[in-house]
Amino acid sequence: MFRTMERNVVHFDLDTFFVSVARLGNSALNGKPVIIGGNSDRGVVASCSYEARKFGVHSAMPMKLARRLCPSAVYLRGDMDSYSRYSNLVTDIIRDRVPVVEKASIDEFYLDLTGMDRFFGCRQFTAELKQTILKESGLPISYALASNKLISKVATDDAKPNGQLYIPYGNEKGYLAPLAIERIPGVGNKTSSLLRRMGVETIKVLSEIPVPMMENLLGKNGIELSRKANGQDDAPVVPYTEQKSIGKEETFNSDTIDMKFLYSELIRMTESVAFQLRNQRRLCGCLTVKLRYANFDTVTRQTMIPYTANDHVLLSKAKELFVKLYDRRMLVRLLGVRVSHMVGGFQQISLFDDTEENVRLYQAMDKIRKRYGEPAVQRAVSLNTNKS
Amino acid sequence: MKFIVSSSALLKQLSAINGVVTTNPVVPILENFLFEIKEGKLTITASDLQTSMMTEIDVEAKEDGNIAVPAKILMETLKNLPEQPVTFSIDRDTYSIEISSDNGRYKLAGENATDFPKIPTVTNATAVDMSSEVLSNAINNTIFATSNDELRPAMTGVYVNLSATNATFVATDGHRLIRYRRVDIASPDAASIIIPRKALNLLKSTLPSDNVPVTVEFNSSNAYFNFSNIKMICRLIDERFPDYENVIPVDNNNNMTIDRLEFMGSMKRIAIYANKTTHQVRLKLAGSELQISAEDLDFSNEANERLSCEHDGEDIEIGFNAKFLVEMLNNISAKEVTLKFSAPNRAGLIVPSDKGENEDILMLVMPVMLNNYV
Repeated sequence: MFRTMERNVVHFDLDTFFVSVARLGNSALNGKPVIIGGNSDRGVVASCSYEARKFGVHSAMPMKLARRLCPSAVYLRGDMDSYSRYSNLVTDIIRDRVPVVEKASIDEFYLDLTGMDRFFGCRQFTAELKQTILKESGLPISYALASNKLISKVATDDAKPNGQLYIPYGNEKGYLAPLAIERIPGVGNKTSSLLRRMGVETIKVLSEIPVPMMENLLGKNGIELSRKANGQDDAPVVPYTEQKSIGKEETFNSDTIDMKFLYSELIRMTESVAFQLRNQRRLCGCLTVKLRYANFDTVTRQTMIPYTANDHVLLSKAKELFVKLYDRRMLVRLLGVRVSHMVGGFQQISLFDDTEENVRLYQAMDKIRKRYGEPAVQRAVSLNTNKS
Repeated sequence: MKFIVSSSALLKQLSAINGVVTTNPVVPILENFLFEIKEGKLTITASDLQTSMMTEIDVEAKEDGNIAVPAKILMETLKNLPEQPVTFSIDRDTYSIEISSDNGRYKLAGENATDFPKIPTVTNATAVDMSSEVLSNAINNTIFATSNDELRPAMTGVYVNLSATNATFVATDGHRLIRYRRVDIASPDAASIIIPRKALNLLKSTLPSDNVPVTVEFNSSNAYFNFSNIKMICRLIDERFPDYENVIPVDNNNNMTIDRLEFMGSMKRIAIYANKTTHQVRLKLAGSELQISAEDLDFSNEANERLSCEHDGEDIEIGFNAKFLVEMLNNISAKEVTLKFSAPNRAGLIVPSDKGENEDILMLVMPVMLNNYV
């Protein structure tokens, strides 16, 4: 019943979030092209200022290319801690004022204001919220107010930078019609080139393709895409999604076949994941190891384990999986470890497998890490990792 | 071959041994009961290769013979027949079985009795006598703590150690351990065996409620249990049982004595609010007050209760799996129990405050690693 009702959904998106945060800490960066990303040649651009975009730089572009396009820009490494601090600050500001908020990513929020217009008037309320965020956090933010998540997200891109848009109920289709098909979330390289080869360039044309034909073309996604092209999206704003897994992965500076190095990386990542697990007072029941070869072939393997958060259990399983996984004599580009099937709780101490020293060792190590940061203690094997 | 037997008497005997029959056995013939008639006595055998059970019943028969009878269909037939004599006629060539009752005739296909695996006999056995009550007590007190982990076969059974002065039954799953000792069972020859859980479960359900003598005979590979007219033979677990004596702490001096039912009731209520997978609860002992609490962060559930207890020692905060504690408390009959602790990351012990004359029971439970430091 609620889904058929006219809704008021706002999509908030912080403009060039990483750059904005960097500028808060260093006003000398204002007005200059700033590019944030990994500083090795294999890194990609995580965020870039509008000044840098003029040079053709965009996010997810290889850093190497960005340097060539815009050599004069200020290049910075990301600082995840301060990003999440500022992100949480903005989240708190919004949550204080709006009951139904979905934090879609570190810099994106969906708000469901349905019913609130009776009290405040949605347009005025959102405009004021935007100003409050700018005032309290110092971060520029853009938004679009529409009747569903899809339209508000697409429109936010048009509102940027530091702007706002309102797409009234009933205007969804008209708003989307002239836009390029790539603007629909979920239309990636493959779908876009397929559609473009058929001569479909704008969303208007896409919306006119009969549904059965779309289904024929793209299967289930085709039906979904057809609905999107018509401006229909009944996805609810989900206030809270539980974290389903914890993982860590690393693309190496250069592809490697050095087993000793791969093992030490595996150990380092597993240790870190296990610590995060314990820190969140959780145990995991499934472990996954991921491997990407130099030719981008990606393979994963997972195993169910009795609920645990202990390094040594996870380590031995991770090694087992890695041995099974790494069956080609080819250079490795990326290695990753992930735990899932998480439940809340503490490690059950085992009568025969855990010695008292072991238990105390874990507790002492975690205590040190909590106080002095995660890299403060680690296994010696995982130390020699910064291989160039 | 032909024999006549009372339907309910036969059903009673079959029910006693039916638990051995598995639904998907390694060899299909094990879905059958083996019927052997010798001089007016019908011996019925059921087996899953690891465990076999046998029982006897008098029948009216003119000749000897044997046949394998499908267990499930026979059981169901007998269950649904009113009490009456039934006649089994067996065709020796086709192995077909015809059951005639007052109600009608039922025909089913049997199998050649010689295909049924031979049941081992125990040679060079050590024999011990005990009463069924003692044996079932020992089983009930330990079996719940056995492990399901097939990778550690030794822990999937109950370890029995016989000495000249006593018998010790031990079960553990690596997180808890029960040691049940009786001084009224002893053997001049010291011996130790591991009896698989399935066999003990079968014994538990088959041992008669009235107290009868049980003879236990065993060698290094098999054990025989003989009581009433039932025999059970089980293959023993041929593994080394973990060194349990060494892990039982001797210096747990932080003692708390509490009413068992009150404690268990509280634990059950609190456990409702604990995480459904880990069942973790927190015990906080301060002075003579015990605070039990639990929380499930995923659902924002939390609960806590306060109980008074007798406490002699430092204040302590320790986490446990509530399921373990409830199971243990449930298996104690004493009015009060004493919990003995030493440190939050070391084993806790539960002992009943008063116990039977000939028995001694000790329950050990490992805590969970509460990382509640700053």
